[in-house]
Amino acid sequence: MYAQAFFVAVFGLAAIGFGVVVFRTSSMVRSALALLFSQTAVGCMFLAMQTEFLGVLQIMMMATEMSIMAIFMVMFMMDPGGLGGMDMSHQKRFSIGAGVSAAAVAIAVALLSDWGPVAEQVADAEAQTRALGMELLGRSMMIFETAGITILTAMIAATAVAIPVQNLASKDDKEASE
Amino acid sequence: MTAVLIVALLTGAILFGIGIYGALSQTNLVMIMMGVELMLAGAMVNLVAFWRFLHPEAYSGQMFVLVVMTVMALEMAVGFGVAIARFRAKGSVEMEEAEDLKG
Repeated sequence: MYAQAFFVAVFGLAAIGFGVVVFRTSSMVRSALALLFSQTAVGCMFLAMQTEFLGVLQIMMMATEMSIMAIFMVMFMMDPGGLGGMDMSHQKRFSIGAGVSAAAVAIAVALLSDWGPVAEQVADAEAQTRALGMELLGRSMMIFETAGITILTAMIAATAVAIPVQNLASKDDKEASE
Repeated sequence: MTAVLIVALLTGAILFGIGIYGALSQTNLVMIMMGVELMLAGAMVNLVAFWRFLHPEAYSGQMFVLVVMTVMALEMAVGFGVAIARFRAKGSVEMEEAEDLKG
């Protein structure tokens, strides 16, 4: 129990620390890597809380997701290396106020609520994965299928948005001149 | 055991707060998406902690985490699609310049 508390706290601190670094560094690649480490620490928290399947899934998903994000950062940012010292933030006071207020309210709820009896033991990883599989293909099948359709829709929508728009009028003019 | 639950909930709350700060303070679309990712990570930590310590017999809690992970992936896919379209049209993904829909 103490080991679990220790590892949850250590990985939690790491997730928070790297989360802060995301918005503190000027280099965009460092920013993406800090987010990768933060999300990996969250995955390690899942492992420490004996949620093995979700922990491994989180680490694998975030490793690929953040690598892609780092490439996009370098492609789109005006100063990806952060060498120019550009400030790319606005309404800082309001943002800090909103962030601190939201965190304070959530912390107050966490500390002041009566959470009732806490479970001491959970099923082992194999039994958990089996039970989750039965849940996905049983009671929650509609949600699972809806998530699949939504992913497909988002893939098509993202591709459609990213494809360059052809200017048909200028194409017709070009053909007419030829 | 309650201490572990509280530590996890505090971590989730602070991650959510950092995410809100990032999403509101950054001017670049990709950085705003990073803020949203941190907010969703905070929500996932809470969901896993609730499942593990309060209702380990109800696997719909883990199902909920899978749905949030799906939302994270979708947000990335659609966000980058919009970023590419915006970069093609305006040459930048700075959101302070995105006033096309302003009334």
